[in-house]
Amino acid sequence: MKTLSSSPWIGPVLALAGGAILAFGLPVLVGDQAYLLRLATQLALLVTLAIAWNLVGGFTGYPSFATAAFFGLGAYAIAVAQQAGWPAWSGFLLAAVLSALLAAPFGFAILRLRGHYFAIASLMLVTILKEVTTGWSDLTGGGMGINLPGAGGNPTAIATVALETMVILAAAALALSMIVAKGRLGFGLACIRMNETAAMGAGIDAPRLKTIAFTLSAAICGLAGATYARWIGYIDPSDVYDVMWSVRPIIAALIGGVGTVFGPVVGSIVYIAFEELMWRNLLTFGTGALGVLIALLVLLLPAGIIPGILRRRAS
Amino acid sequence: MLLGGLSATALAPGFAFGQATNEIRIGAPLPLTGPLAPEGRKQKRGYDLWAAQVTKDGGVDVGGRKLPVRIIYSDYQSATPRGVQACEFLVNQEKAHFLFSPFGSGAAKAGSAIAERYKIPMIAPTASSVEVYDQGFKYLFGTFTPNSTLTEPLAKLVTEKAPDVKKVAIFSRNDLLPLSLANEMRKSSAARNLSVVYDEKFAIGTLDFAAALTQMRAAAPDWVFVGGYINDLVQVRSQMRDLGMKPKVLTMIAGPAYEEYIQALKGAAENVSSAAWWHPSVRYEGEDLFRSTANYVEVFKAAYNGDTPDYAEASASSAGAILQLALKKAGTLEGPAVRDALASLNVRTFWGPVHFGATGQIDSLTPPVFQIQEGKAVVLVPDEIKRGEFRFGIA
Repeated sequence: MKTLSSSPWIGPVLALAGGAILAFGLPVLVGDQAYLLRLATQLALLVTLAIAWNLVGGFTGYPSFATAAFFGLGAYAIAVAQQAGWPAWSGFLLAAVLSALLAAPFGFAILRLRGHYFAIASLMLVTILKEVTTGWSDLTGGGMGINLPGAGGNPTAIATVALETMVILAAAALALSMIVAKGRLGFGLACIRMNETAAMGAGIDAPRLKTIAFTLSAAICGLAGATYARWIGYIDPSDVYDVMWSVRPIIAALIGGVGTVFGPVVGSIVYIAFEELMWRNLLTFGTGALGVLIALLVLLLPAGIIPGILRRRAS
Repeated sequence: MLLGGLSATALAPGFAFGQATNEIRIGAPLPLTGPLAPEGRKQKRGYDLWAAQVTKDGGVDVGGRKLPVRIIYSDYQSATPRGVQACEFLVNQEKAHFLFSPFGSGAAKAGSAIAERYKIPMIAPTASSVEVYDQGFKYLFGTFTPNSTLTEPLAKLVTEKAPDVKKVAIFSRNDLLPLSLANEMRKSSAARNLSVVYDEKFAIGTLDFAAALTQMRAAAPDWVFVGGYINDLVQVRSQMRDLGMKPKVLTMIAGPAYEEYIQALKGAAENVSSAAWWHPSVRYEGEDLFRSTANYVEVFKAAYNGDTPDYAEASASSAGAILQLALKKAGTLEGPAVRDALASLNVRTFWGPVHFGATGQIDSLTPPVFQIQEGKAVVLVPDEIKRGEFRFGIA
């Protein structure tokens, strides 16, 4: 363990390699089980969003609800780009760049707020983008939604590519999160989380570091949205700007352990497993039962699963 | 222990293979929770009624055998992505032979890709927009005619009865079906030299329409056309009354077809005109298990404490009845064979004459135009089932 953690690059490289093996191995293993592929893609999507949220909500301690805003923006960026005939890679690039460009100034402005005030301000961004997208129907199709070109292609191929892209994106997000956690940025963010005033006093440029974390997080969410749009093939504003895209990653991170590197991953797995189990077996009370289970988990493991295990091992 | 029990039942559907041919398994993803829950429950009532009638008749005739029907429901929580997931779950895990589509045009469009992939015939009982059917898919069939079949007869009727109606206001919810209706209304107006003096959208979930309506009043329209769902339309109508707006003609789609709309508005619902794909007062004879519209309404009332079925409920029942006729014709549960039977179907049912066009959307139905008169929906068009004359002005 000591030798592994001694080099800061081994973890991220392992994460990427593991992601690549999973991404290309899973379709071979369960390629005939389309539903399992779908679940795996969904899990990778939640892992990605939870890790992205954790950069701001966990490492920095700012409870952001803006995940859905960047997710939707990314989805619409690639949809509009593809309708204009751009190749897919440029659509992904546009999704990441647009999200980052919006996040930087917006984050710089609202990261001055704290706690509940910050949460509400970040939530507003979702509503604003949803309204803009709905109203700007010449570009976005408004409430009619957008069909992504190529969505009618070979469905198995689409499902496989979506899984591969999503898993690699999740692995990349995990690797990034490891690098941030071990590096100077992570140290600065941790200082901000513990005591922002003291951190500023110690010479940490808090507004800059917070904005960097927020921007990185937004770019990942934008990419996740773009991957999602290409996977589903049809998006409309109420789907991709659904506030649940903001809430589910937070719950996943809470279950796994806020502010830990692997918490969002473990939490997402537990969340998806419970959600699937409840949804399958309880026709109309699925969501309610899921809520009860989450409440129980948070009560029993208030710090999350990962810190819970670490503490047990320490004692 | 609780979890152990749950996971055991979660795995159970995996063993459904063996009994696959002993029953007809139909997957029905519905929005049973969330904002679309009322619509989802309507659809469920329609399906359940059909399934109960099938059970009473001893099963569905497939190649000389009588097979029981099992509808497997899945709640997609009014979220389209989950609706798509539900379609895949029902086919892949629950081994459904056929699918009834999720609610509305958007979700049906998204879900139809799954049906196409697995060669599973899907019947969409609540999707009217042509954009749903123009994807080149072969396994999707819809029981609603295109939206233009609602606006055209209305525009024809209004301009014939009231040549002085010149100015039209169009107000619609920013959502797939209402936008599509507004589009058709614009075309129908342009074709008759009516000038559109107001044309706006409102956001989903809007409750206060005062500003928009005041603006609309300033344009002094003779005919106000509002597209939305029942909750929106009840709000718009009562706020028009509060503002004292009295256009000569007020048309709302798709709320007035529901009994709940008349109940909520009482007198303010008077003379509101509308069109729907079906109405309980139409009179069709059919070869299906319900035999006629009149009998369908009776069976429905008996099953649901005297409630009258509306087009959403009837369309759901008709999806089952149509599938049943196609199964009888195909004589097998194989997807491609049933798909071909559906594509070539040409029958009369309680829902109306059923024939699907090249895109899979029904092309044999004439949706009735009706108006609320004395608290009842009175059919004005088509002539064969006409029950009254158009009345002008609103309360």
